[in-house]
Amino acid sequence: MPVISLRHVYGSMLLALLLQLLPWDGLALQWRPDFLLLAVVYWMLRAPHLCHVGTAWFTGLIMDLATGGVFGQYALAYALTGFFAVSYQRRLALFNIWQQAAYVLFLLLLTQTTVIVLKLFAGDDFPGWHFYLHSVSSILVWLAVILPPFGVEAPPHKN
Amino acid sequence: MPRALEPQQTPSFFIHGPSPFARLVFFSALSLALIVTDSRLQYLHDFRQGFMALLHPLQMIANAPFDLYRAGAEYLTAHNTLVETNRELVKQALQNGVRLQRLNELEAENEHLRSLLGASQVIVQPARLAEILHMGRDPFSQKMVVNLGERHNIRPGQAVVDGDGVIGQVTRVYPLSSEVTLITDKELSIPIQVERNGLRAIAFGAGMDNMLDLPYLPVNVDIQIGDRLITSGIDGIYPVGLAVAEVTDIERNPDSPFARITCRPIAGVKNHRQVLLINIPEIEPASGNIIGRQPDTASNPSASVQAASATGVSR
Repeated sequence: MPVISLRHVYGSMLLALLLQLLPWDGLALQWRPDFLLLAVVYWMLRAPHLCHVGTAWFTGLIMDLATGGVFGQYALAYALTGFFAVSYQRRLALFNIWQQAAYVLFLLLLTQTTVIVLKLFAGDDFPGWHFYLHSVSSILVWLAVILPPFGVEAPPHKN
Repeated sequence: MPRALEPQQTPSFFIHGPSPFARLVFFSALSLALIVTDSRLQYLHDFRQGFMALLHPLQMIANAPFDLYRAGAEYLTAHNTLVETNRELVKQALQNGVRLQRLNELEAENEHLRSLLGASQVIVQPARLAEILHMGRDPFSQKMVVNLGERHNIRPGQAVVDGDGVIGQVTRVYPLSSEVTLITDKELSIPIQVERNGLRAIAFGAGMDNMLDLPYLPVNVDIQIGDRLITSGIDGIYPVGLAVAEVTDIERNPDSPFARITCRPIAGVKNHRQVLLINIPEIEPASGNIIGRQPDTASNPSASVQAASATGVSR
């Protein structure tokens, strides 16, 4: 089993950020998976000693910057998600891949809901329910990456 | 980091560093402080500028495959498509040329009439061509990012137009790029004039794709479906007479004092990759129309009154 180093963590996050920064437009933008959040959640569940709440917070700050919104909104949402990911990380080893995916979906929805609440507080309009499509496409990407044909090693789980 | 080399399966019973909950509390407090600082006190401007400069190369890398694809597609365009486009463009140029000849004459005439009236001259506003880097990533706002920034002397507030009409306004300038808020954004309002009858109003973005609102107009207002709205120019930012939107729907509700008027922007943000950023004209301070001024500053009151009454064209 390969040893995970910080280089893997930050390398994959950089890649996720690049995917996030692609000039998505129109319908593709509505369906764009949240690659950065996926990378964060993955490492939080797999290697919590390398990627902690602070890492998640900082990634969220980069998202704030990339979207051009008010600083701290995505950061808070990511930190909260990171906390929930880490605090149930041990228990997740008792789940199988599908139950894990369900938990990840919950984390993704939690992030988006936090963002919506913060944005509504800041005076933005509700963007419509299609906002949650990001979570749907994200979980599909998660499954595509974890399941056999591609086969990236999942976080510790029951077989 | 020595901890990085620990085998993965060994659970670490001794938590290194603060607990997740302590971290959560700390970072949540930090985020809340950031949210307040950024939205209420403009202290984080330089911070954002610096970070954007760091993010810019990454953005360029992310855009590279698409630019390459576009360049390749352009290179491989079929011969007959090129000929066809060329023919179309020549035709268009000819038509525009005829109109331009008349425009030159009209401009000269207008200048002459204005000098007769004593109104100030229309200022020519130079513009710069910018390319769209990407559309806004935030579903909560209607924005896009273009490839000119502070280094290219772009200033916040500049109007952004394309060949058909107004697209929006530069709201934030980064070192090498700038953020344009589209006219459909909820935060942006634009002074307009109905082309048919010269009625002035202010159009607000509806916050949704391809929609503008004309609020606070009485139920009996003289606006019809299909009316074209153009910039009135009284703001001193947008040049006069640029197309903004077309009225698509009017709802006259008896229990509301105002009509609900919805419009569709004429400029197609999605259609082009290039846009024009129009420079903000230097506005001379108005003189003469402030009551109680000394007579020497109000030396030519008639001229400035004329200027003010000429539906804002003077600015």
